[in-house]
Amino acid sequence: MNQLQQKYQDRITHTLSKYPDKRSAVMPLLYIAQEEYGWVSPEGIDQVAEICDMDATQVKSIAGFYTMYSEKPKGKYWLQVCTDLPCALRGADQFHEDLKAYLEVEEGGTTADGMFTVEHVMCLAACDKAPMLQCNFHFAENLDMDKMKVLIEQWRNEVNQQVNGSR
Amino acid sequence: MKHILFREHEVENIRELDVYVNNAGYAGLKKALGMTPDEVINTVKASGLRGRGGAGFPTGVKWSFIPKNEPVKYVAVNADESEPGTFKDRQIMENNPHQLIEGALICAYAIQAKAVYIYLRGEFWDLATQLDQCIEEARKAGYLGQNILGSTYSCEVYTHLGAGAYICGEESALLNSLEGKLGQPRVRPPFPAQKGGGLYGEPTVVNNVETLANVPFILYEGPEAFRAFGTEKSPGTKVFCVSGNVVKPGNYELPLGITFRELIYDHAGGIPDGRGIKGILPSGASGPIVPATDEVLDTPLTYEDMDKIGTVLGSASVIVLDDSIDIAWAASKMAKFFKHESCGKCTPCREGTYWIDKVLDRIITGDGAPSDVDLILNVAKNMQGVTLCALGDFAANPIIATIKHFPDEFKRYVDPALKQEKKAVAAPKRAGGAAQGRAGRGTEKTGLVPAGD
Amino acid sequence: MVKIYIDDREYDVPAGMNLVDAAKWHADNDIPVFCYHPKMEPVGMCRMCLVQQGAIEKDRATGEVVLDEHGQPKVRWMPKLQTACTQRVTDGMVIRTNTAEVDQARQNVIEFLLTSHPLDCPICDKGGECPLQNLTMEHGPGMSRMQFQDKQHLDKHVPLGDLIYLDEERCIQCARCVRFQDELVGDDVLAFHERGRRLQIITNSNPGFDTYFSGNTTDICPVGALTTADFRFGARPWELTEVPSIDPFDAAGSNISLSIRLDRDFGGKAMIKRVMPRQNESVNEIWISDKARFGHHFTRSENRAQSPMIRNANGQLMQTTWEEALKSVASILKAAGKDVAAIAGSQMSNEDLWALREVMSAVGSTRLGAWPITHAGADLVAQVGVGVGSNLGDLGKGDAVLIIASDLEEEVPIWRLRLKLAKERGVFLAVANARHTRMEDFATACLRYDYGMAAHFLSNLRAENPDLAQQLAQANNLIILTGAEGLSLDGSRALMQAAANFLIETGHVGKPNNGLLSTFPGPNGMGQYYMGFTPENTQDIMINPPKVLIVAQADLYHDDPSASQWVHEVETVINLTLFADETLSHEAHTILPIQSFAERDGTFTNGERRVQRFYTAQGPIADALPAWQVLSRLGEKLGRGKAKLSAATVMADIAKNVPAFAGVTYKEISNVKRQFPDVGGRDLYYGGTAYQNRGGLGVQLKTTAESGEAINTAPVELVNAPRSQAGQMLIVPTTVLYNRERTFLPSALMHPRVMMPYAEINSADAAKLGIKSGDVVEIVADTMRVRVKAHVNGGAPEGSIVLPRHLTTEAVPMTMTLGRVSKVD
Ligand SMILES: Cc1cc2nc3c(=O)[nH]c(=O)nc-3n(C[C@H](O)[C@H](O)[C@H](O)COP(=O)(O)O)c2cc1C
Ligand code: SF4
Ligand code: FES
Repeated sequence: MNQLQQKYQDRITHTLSKYPDKRSAVMPLLYIAQEEYGWVSPEGIDQVAEICDMDATQVKSIAGFYTMYSEKPKGKYWLQVCTDLPCALRGADQFHEDLKAYLEVEEGGTTADGMFTVEHVMCLAACDKAPMLQCNFHFAENLDMDKMKVLIEQWRNEVNQQVNGSR
Repeated sequence: MKHILFREHEVENIRELDVYVNNAGYAGLKKALGMTPDEVINTVKASGLRGRGGAGFPTGVKWSFIPKNEPVKYVAVNADESEPGTFKDRQIMENNPHQLIEGALICAYAIQAKAVYIYLRGEFWDLATQLDQCIEEARKAGYLGQNILGSTYSCEVYTHLGAGAYICGEESALLNSLEGKLGQPRVRPPFPAQKGGGLYGEPTVVNNVETLANVPFILYEGPEAFRAFGTEKSPGTKVFCVSGNVVKPGNYELPLGITFRELIYDHAGGIPDGRGIKGILPSGASGPIVPATDEVLDTPLTYEDMDKIGTVLGSASVIVLDDSIDIAWAASKMAKFFKHESCGKCTPCREGTYWIDKVLDRIITGDGAPSDVDLILNVAKNMQGVTLCALGDFAANPIIATIKHFPDEFKRYVDPALKQEKKAVAAPKRAGGAAQGRAGRGTEKTGLVPAGD
Repeated sequence: MVKIYIDDREYDVPAGMNLVDAAKWHADNDIPVFCYHPKMEPVGMCRMCLVQQGAIEKDRATGEVVLDEHGQPKVRWMPKLQTACTQRVTDGMVIRTNTAEVDQARQNVIEFLLTSHPLDCPICDKGGECPLQNLTMEHGPGMSRMQFQDKQHLDKHVPLGDLIYLDEERCIQCARCVRFQDELVGDDVLAFHERGRRLQIITNSNPGFDTYFSGNTTDICPVGALTTADFRFGARPWELTEVPSIDPFDAAGSNISLSIRLDRDFGGKAMIKRVMPRQNESVNEIWISDKARFGHHFTRSENRAQSPMIRNANGQLMQTTWEEALKSVASILKAAGKDVAAIAGSQMSNEDLWALREVMSAVGSTRLGAWPITHAGADLVAQVGVGVGSNLGDLGKGDAVLIIASDLEEEVPIWRLRLKLAKERGVFLAVANARHTRMEDFATACLRYDYGMAAHFLSNLRAENPDLAQQLAQANNLIILTGAEGLSLDGSRALMQAAANFLIETGHVGKPNNGLLSTFPGPNGMGQYYMGFTPENTQDIMINPPKVLIVAQADLYHDDPSASQWVHEVETVINLTLFADETLSHEAHTILPIQSFAERDGTFTNGERRVQRFYTAQGPIADALPAWQVLSRLGEKLGRGKAKLSAATVMADIAKNVPAFAGVTYKEISNVKRQFPDVGGRDLYYGGTAYQNRGGLGVQLKTTAESGEAINTAPVELVNAPRSQAGQMLIVPTTVLYNRERTFLPSALMHPRVMMPYAEINSADAAKLGIKSGDVVEIVADTMRVRVKAHVNGGAPEGSIVLPRHLTTEAVPMTMTLGRVSKVD
């Protein structure tokens, strides 16, 4: 039993039980690996391959095809701003630029403190609530920079609390 | 108007199982279980319901393709909802989830499927958790699982999350993705309904969320009640997702056959700042753009009428572009989308989307030659009709239709007489201020959730 | 048969045939393709094969063809062009391949592909035999409208493991390589990464591109994106001459093509630059193992024996002339009376063996030993081997194959590949062995017995495994494929007899695709038998060593730990050898340098008894001569008549004297006929590279069962296998494909793939002995003492140690024995 299997035994067992074929579990398991390591790391890939009875090449292939798996480490908060046409018509491009400027990061870059990665993404099915972004796969909608600054502050506090709490 | 899908307008908290059940919830399923599978299929056929995922294929007919003698069959619910400008399935699942589950189960019963997989785009992460809870509740109440409502019929319902790939909305790519393979489309035939073509090679019905959410109503109220809405060829209501430059963007469930004008002005509040409309994308990025002429504005939104004005109803994701919008810029946005989403499996789409984006970028940064416009038009035409799946056609549309209807918007960038200086296009500033009126009660996400939750 | 219409002409073609294949085979119409390959399922990816397609309209009620106003059948055309590769022909199908629309579509696809393809044809390994290049000339737009500087610039030297390199810029994303590995091989170690234009081939296996068949992807890659580390930048394809040859490593006898060029690196002589498969649909189709492809370097090893040597009175080996050497050998043989024996290796050709037999006849000896002595029962293969016309590719539903006592992937990789596919076509594939082997991954049924008990298992099949016995007995066609793992030579004979009996009793002999096959080591195990060389004779030679021993292409010391004892008792050893540095050289009185398969012509008889020719390809090494020539000249000195001048005349002698070879001539062996699918030649785009068969498809020898003679079962003489006992364990020598044999080791390219010496130990045994994975252990059996790394729980059954041969420098016994293992501190 590998590390992922030990740590996430129930979730993995439940996931595998959904499908007649283990291979179908590769996507849910990659999410688990990403959760564990913060990105889809080589050890994550190898363990998922073992659980799904696949060659590691095939798992890496899946991880590379889908944009929600990150094959590189990301910031604690992975901010993905939708700048697709419907959002862009409602000012998302500007919002995206302002956010990057505020956090002092380049497109796809991570803040120096490792807190935030900012990148743009394609339509997230929230076009009527633009500008919006997803942060670690949770949506934040109807944003402007004022709201954003509050959120960023809250996220920073959260991390600080966790750090303090664990002391 | 009474809503078929967005019943939260009439019934508060319809998302909760007991509220749903108290308001005729799962009555359609109960009724279906008392009928033969064929009778269920015929009822759906009689309603004239057409697929809401884009192609508008008659739903009952699709179900009837499933071979009876195969022991294992599946239903895959297409909740990938990734077309730019589409956000309707999300609202249905957020506010009226049991109606989708019930519809999917009726479909499953009609084709005698063993299991239903709801394939959600990966970004519907939180939604999937909620749906899982609903499924659990429904199971406990006997609406799914073993011996549904005391009948001999059993069926499981599962959710499955994608991970960020528009192409997985294409049905055969969706099936590949569910099987843990690359989300690339398959060669057809065999079609999903045929042995060898569906999930795990078994005959499978793939239906959109909105399509299936209509089904409980059809069963419970009867096909005629459904046909009371819409037109002869396009019966029922449709959720119109209105986005872009309108005062009240949002989802509007309305009978098929209302006009663009009614939709945009009567329902979506018109255009901010009293501006005019330049163009309308009736079906997200993938359907051809139409200029906002009076003829277009007065065209009824039906499958048949959209055909007449050279576009498609598709998933009815109406993106409105006001008269300040640079069409070449909009085309470039769409080109970038398709380039990003091309799965890469077939040559014309993989290479075509790449080159269109590249050359279009050159055009809108002022470096293009007049021949560049012909070049992208020609590349787009060369992609049409020859790709493995419809994404290639979708990707060609924004180029072909924008150049056809708005040639001057491209000419400005490349005609030496017209282009004064290199100027990068400015993206629109915020349109009409912060979140405007809500049409549905789409729950707004605040983003106040801790990381890794 | 159905009627189809291609460009307005009518053709009768078999129903269900792929449209591209049908057009090519029956109408000589080459519909261009990139992704389609007749050996793989169509995927419709490249869109190159677009055609206009329609169907003749028929009246629903009457089934009559509907006619138009001109009295012509009415065609219902489809609105869009269709990909031909994804269609199967149906009655009344109409296609047009010559319309302006089709031309345009082809041109468009080429243009699309070229927009991303680099213009480095002049330096590309595929240049000159590249489907993309050829189809561009034929269907391309002539010029590109996309600017080169706009092209994506990607990595051009990505190693996919040590053997294959990927040029990301050149790849046209056809997925042939991916599909080959997945569908045909079952090692899905290649895949696409990313998507859209960023789609790239990757491998993430360990080691990279971990499979025995990787080289084949470079053949079927329709561009120069995949190249072998062996050939990369080695030569321009148009400078190469293709010489037909045979894989010298195993019993499959895969047909290969040696691409040669006069080369500076080889003194201006013809040199093998690469090894390619050569199509023989009944043998290896168009595939070869990486061992066959990359294992040719031994032919140019710096240790090749250069000239004849004789040991002088001081015990020193001195260079001499052929004339002197042969004179000396002749006198030694004459002086020995009849006390002469010969041992011949399985890389000796039929002609070599025959000439050796002639020498032995001249001195009146019949002590003809075959080397190595692992597999018995070649005589049974001659009687009830698979019938003439057998083809593993024809096996399908209703047929059955039993593989027993073999690790087939390691022993005969091409058979493993073809049987994996057979299983997928519906063959009942049973694999029986004492341990897990890779073949089990592809089997319908997996059976276990204890080491040494293979013959017992098969003899008692009806009683102990009635279901399996019935499955096999009732099969339409049945092949039993034996190895010799965990068996003594007697045990191997018992297994062969048990297999033969089962086949005879169930009526599965004397016809195609029925009978006995065995994984005889080397390319000419059956040739050894037909020429009279047997392992039983060798056993006798080992027990009663002769005064004079002729050793021909047999690495005695490296193969057999007891050699140091019994060879010592021989007075004079005459060694015909490729290598000057063989350990035997220390003992040999005379060393006669002979040529490898690459430098001369000859024939091998493969496990299916197919006699196949190989041709002179590479320039000679110093004074080395073909063994048949050396021996024939020796025969002349011993009074056997004039020495033969060509291998063909030796074959004529064989045909006269060996009944099974009656009528076999070089001419007949060299016959070729058109094979489906058409690959190579003009049809580069199918196979990707030219490997049409111009050297002959070979002649399959009849079994006794087919010549109408009565075949009787003989009782199986079961031998009691040694059982592990207190303190002792069964040492089971096994075969691994990549090893340190003399003929493989010089391929330095393969070194990273050759395992460090190891032994597999069961975890229960390991626990008892305090051994962990990675520990160094010493294994001692009567004449053997080796140190290897322990692999705990590598699949060895309790009580036994699986010890691969030819990984250690010291010899490991050829057959199973008892021994002790201990941890080395
Ligand atoms: C590129 C592409 C993307 C698609 N995306 C979606 C999607 O996100 N949601 C959906 O329901 N259908 C989508 N479709 C349509 C589906 O292939 C399929 O037609 C639909 O799920 C059928 O369901 P329906 O009959 O209920 O409409 C897409 C099609 C293509 C070619
Ligand atoms: S490497 Fe060659 S065979 Fe593989 S996908 Fe690319 S072009 Fe095709
Ligand atoms: S699509 Fe038919 S050969 Fe590639």
